[in-house]
This record gives sequence, C-alpha cells and structure tokens, in this order.
Amino acid sequence: MAKWGMVIDLDKCTGCQACTTACSMENNTLPGETWQDVLFYNAGEYPSGQMKWLPRPCMQCENPSCVHVCPTRATYKDPDAGGIVFVDWNKCIGCKYCMIACPYGVRFYADEKPLIEPDIRDVFPGENAQLWSPPYQSPDEDWRRGIGIQPKGVVSKCTFCYHKVKNAPEGTADLDEDNPDVKEYVPACVRTCAPKARYFGDLDNPESHVNQLIGDKHGVRLKDHTGNKPQVYYLGAGAGVPAFTPADRENDA
Amino acid sequence: MTTQQHKNALQGPLGWGLLVVAMAVLLISLGYAFSQIIANGHTSFNTSSALPWGQPIATYVFFALGSSGLGLIASLPLVFGFKQYYPIAKRCVFLAFALLISGMIVLALELGHVFRMLWVIPANLQVQSAMFWMGAFYALDLLFLLWKFSKLQGGHWDSKTAKQVGIASFVGVLLASGNLALIFGMMSMRPFWFDPLMPVYFYVTGITTAVAILVLLTYLAYAFKQTRMPAPLQALLTGPLPKLFAACVGVTLLLIAVRAITGLYSNNPEINVVWTDYLFKSGVYIAALLIGLLLPFVILLSKLRNSMGIQVVAALLVTVAMFAERLYFVVGGQVVPLFKGTWIPDLISYTPSATEWSLTFIGFALCFVIYLLGEKFLNLGDMPSQMIDHTTPRKPIEATA
Repeated sequence: MAKWGMVIDLDKCTGCQACTTACSMENNTLPGETWQDVLFYNAGEYPSGQMKWLPRPCMQCENPSCVHVCPTRATYKDPDAGGIVFVDWNKCIGCKYCMIACPYGVRFYADEKPLIEPDIRDVFPGENAQLWSPPYQSPDEDWRRGIGIQPKGVVSKCTFCYHKVKNAPEGTADLDEDNPDVKEYVPACVRTCAPKARYFGDLDNPESHVNQLIGDKHGVRLKDHTGNKPQVYYLGAGAGVPAFTPADRENDA
Repeated sequence: MTTQQHKNALQGPLGWGLLVVAMAVLLISLGYAFSQIIANGHTSFNTSSALPWGQPIATYVFFALGSSGLGLIASLPLVFGFKQYYPIAKRCVFLAFALLISGMIVLALELGHVFRMLWVIPANLQVQSAMFWMGAFYALDLLFLLWKFSKLQGGHWDSKTAKQVGIASFVGVLLASGNLALIFGMMSMRPFWFDPLMPVYFYVTGITTAVAILVLLTYLAYAFKQTRMPAPLQALLTGPLPKLFAACVGVTLLLIAVRAITGLYSNNPEINVVWTDYLFKSGVYIAALLIGLLLPFVILLSKLRNSMGIQVVAALLVTVAMFAERLYFVVGGQVVPLFKGTWIPDLISYTPSATEWSLTFIGFALCFVIYLLGEKFLNLGDMPSQMIDHTTPRKPIEATA
C-alpha cells in the first residue's frame, strides 16, 4: 500500500487561497473550519520586512500525537489507506484533546460560534444528524473516516481527500492533475493549484516524483523537532513560520 | 469499634435553609445550561477551535484536584496514623466524593457526546492516552472513596480491611490526579504546560484547595462557633491544620513563582508571552496571587492562624484564588495562537460565556447539595471511640506553636 504524501513548493505558491476554497467546496466545511488554509505572516522589519505565506493542510503525521492522546481511538492512522489520519465520527466524544495535542492547529470543532453572520448552519439547518445540510453536498460520505458533513459534537480534519484518492489504481506513484488517467483521484487542493505548487504521490515509492522532489530540492518538514514526522514536505524558501510576536511588540529588538 | 457522633448546625434548620438555596441555584443553573446546550449546542460556549478548552475544563480540574487533595488529607490519619486528623477524616472522604462527582458532571456537560463515552472508551482501550487512564483511575478513586466511606460509616476506623481500602484509595488518588497532571504535562507542543513535574504541582495545589474547602465547610458545620466543636476538632483547627494550610499555600506560591521565573526567562513566546501578556496583564490573576494566596500566607504565618475568623477569610480567599489559578492555567496553555506566526497578531481572547458560568455554578451547587445531605444524614463529624474522652465541648484551645 502506498504512503501518501504531499510536497508544497513555496517558491511557486502565490498564496491565492484557491486550495483553501477548493477544499472547502469539496468537503463542505463551514467558514472558519479551514481544513486547508494559507497562513500569511510578515518576517523581518522595515526596510527589509517581507510578507510570506504558507499553505497548511493536515500533515498526516507518521507519528501523530493526536492519535496517541485520543481516549477512544476515534482518531486513527490507517496504514491501509496510505497512512492518512482519520477521525471516526461514530467514536469521537468531542473531548477535543486531539486539538490540544496537534502541533499544527489543523483540527476543528465546528460546533462553535460562527465565524461570520448569518450563521450558515441556521440558513441550512442540519438534517439526518448532520451539523448543517447545504443544498449541494459531496456524494461521498463515510463517517468512519470523517468524510462528508460531520454530526454535532465531533472533531473534523483534512482527509487528503481520501474519497478521491482511494480510487487510484494500485501501484500509482503520483497523482498528477496533468495526467488524464488519474486526475479524478487527485486531492482538491492539489488539483486546483494554479501555479502547480503542490504534488501528491507515494512516499514509499523511490521512483515517485514527490520523492525525487524531496531529495533533489531538500524538502523539509515543519516543526520536525516535535517528532510527529509529517507526510507533508515543503520546498523552497520560507518553510517555517516565525515565532509568535504580539502586534504591539513587533518592533522590539 | 463504636463511634462518637456529634450534633452539628447543618443537621438543624440552618442545613435545611442552605439546602433549599443550593438546590435552587442548582436547578436554575441546570435549567439554563440544558436550555442553552440543547438549543444552541456548544455555540453557547465561548471556546473555539483555536482555544478548545475553557472554563468548564478548568472547573473540572478544580474539583477533581480538590477531591484528590481531600483524599490525601484523609490519608494522614487513615493510612499514615496521624491521629490528630481523625476528626476531619470522614468529612474529607465524603467531600472528596462530592467534589469528584461534581467535577465529573461538569466535564460530562462539556463533552460533545457524553453517553457515547460510556461504551466507546472501555470498548476501545486506548492505553496510550493519558485521558483513558485519567478516566480509569478517577473511576477507581470514586469506587475506593465510597468503599472507604462505607467502612467509616460502619465504624471501622482501624480494621485491617479499612486500612487496606485506605491504602488502595491513597494510591488511587495519586494515580488519578497524577494522570490528570500528565494530560497537560505531557503536551510538548504546548510548552506552557509541558512539565514532567506537573503531578507534583497538581498534588500540592490540590491539597491547598482541599484544606481551604475543608476549613470553610468544617466551620460552617458548627455554625462558625468553635465552642460547639468537639475538643479533638478544636485542637486540630488550632494546631496542625492551620499549620498545614500555611505550608500548602506557601509551597503553592513557591511553585507558581518557579514556573513564573522559568517562563519569564524563556525566549519561547509560547511560555514567555503567556506570563508577560496574559497572566501578569490580568488584574484578576494578579489579585488571585496577591490577595488570594500571598496575603493569606502572610497572615497564616503568624499566631493569628489559630483564629477562626482569620482561617475562614483565608480559606475563602484561597478557594477563589485556586479556582482562578485553574482557569488561567488551562486557558494560559492555549492563548498563544498555535502555529500562526503573525497571521494572528494577538493572543486568542477568551471570556467564559453565561452557559460556561452556569456549568461552574452547577458544579459548586451540586457539590454543596451533596455535602449538606452528608452532614445532615451521615454524621460527617464522626471519629473513633478512643477520642471520646476528649469530645466534650470546651473553650477554644490556645495553640502553643
């Protein structure tokens, strides 16, 4: 079985947020429930300050701390599904410990105050135990893997679009949106990326393009010191978010 | 072995009056919380995906650790043979039970799916999770507390089985509160909490909370009149207990100071900024430290510690301060935006919502209701018969220390 991984080339990424939008539409996430978003931040100071950005999906860690802390095994890493980390919505009790334990802040408890008004959950009230029921929904639903629209009281997260990826033929090295044979199986954020900054493939296949990119261009993993060992790699300059600095202290030396 | 029973004020009209008030607060809080949670789900909380644990979790931690502290104090006479603590042993065990039940109820109301928890945790046995062990050990703790109380209720203070249950309960308390500490202390991605000695911090602060609650409620049981108390209890409240109280508040201050100093020295903004821009910028937190802990500590260092009035005021201040400490501890670990760089330029703001406050009121009111029922019907002032000779009420004892 493949070990699915993503490579994001920051020298190509324009920060357009198309990936964020595609993810939201594909997975019917709520405003603020950004399984995939692009963080913007500034680094350095005037006159040499820079604006930078960093796309951030779930890292689908090899050694995921969120899985270790879950008291019910609702969060699990499935080696038979490419090593993707899922949330079983039938088992999640909404304790939110996984959200505490995730170093990347990519888990969401959508049963919270709305980010924007009107609350879209009031506009499209939930039916059949869904938290909300918009008129268009992805046809794929698998609560055991946290795919579809979640019920109340559970945690949700990026699934690497497993409902698409799972259909890839066995032995596929790369899911490239430019390859007509596999483009339907490519995760939404990868497929929509206009500057082609994202690559998706099998990290266990030495011939895969993602492995070649990681090797040739010195791919790095974020917060590698945590030991979580993400299956998402970054290329290019700026793969690192500067330390938090309160706005009123930005000019402190 | 027989036991000596004492009439106390809560077995009379005062107890009924307080029970009515506590029941009213409990029912109103429950009604409000249920109406909000059923109608609006957890949108009635002010927590968010960026700051998922708020005041209900802090309330649970306050009660769970208070319960553990009471269990440890009860172990002084029941396990370690400090006989002068016998007069409060039964009350400690019962209060530990009351606090733990109250904390668990608050936690249950905070969860997304509480009833699912009842089968999904035992069915999946995720032994890697500290939260799994917390549930297992606190369930055991509750069982041993009830067992231990039934022994005391039956007058078995020194029987072999009572001793064995007491030791098992003591170990259970250490494991339960230690695991609760590790839920926070093992989170290396949350540096404000990450601390291998967090269990020590939780033990000490749990005992501090416990002594404060115990002092308050023991005096209340005797309508704040020392002369109504049996002599061994008077001796305890004018001797060892206030000294223990002072020591616990002092060590709590020391541990907070150590955490603050290391935090302020650290370059890591996820620790440093929590102290500089959250804790030490909060008037409530500073007041909790200075008025709620330092002031009582200074007063308790003097001979004044044997005065009932001083003890009651100190206990009240320390109880409120420890609740504030729990809230700022739980929230403090989350206020620095995780992995956001300058995308979010300020700390994550959090103020408990009315629903979250109602959960806290449920905890306090339920705890008080259970306690009052215990005082009324279960003679929490019992002590072993060997202390009978000293149980005639007399004037307050002047402490020699």
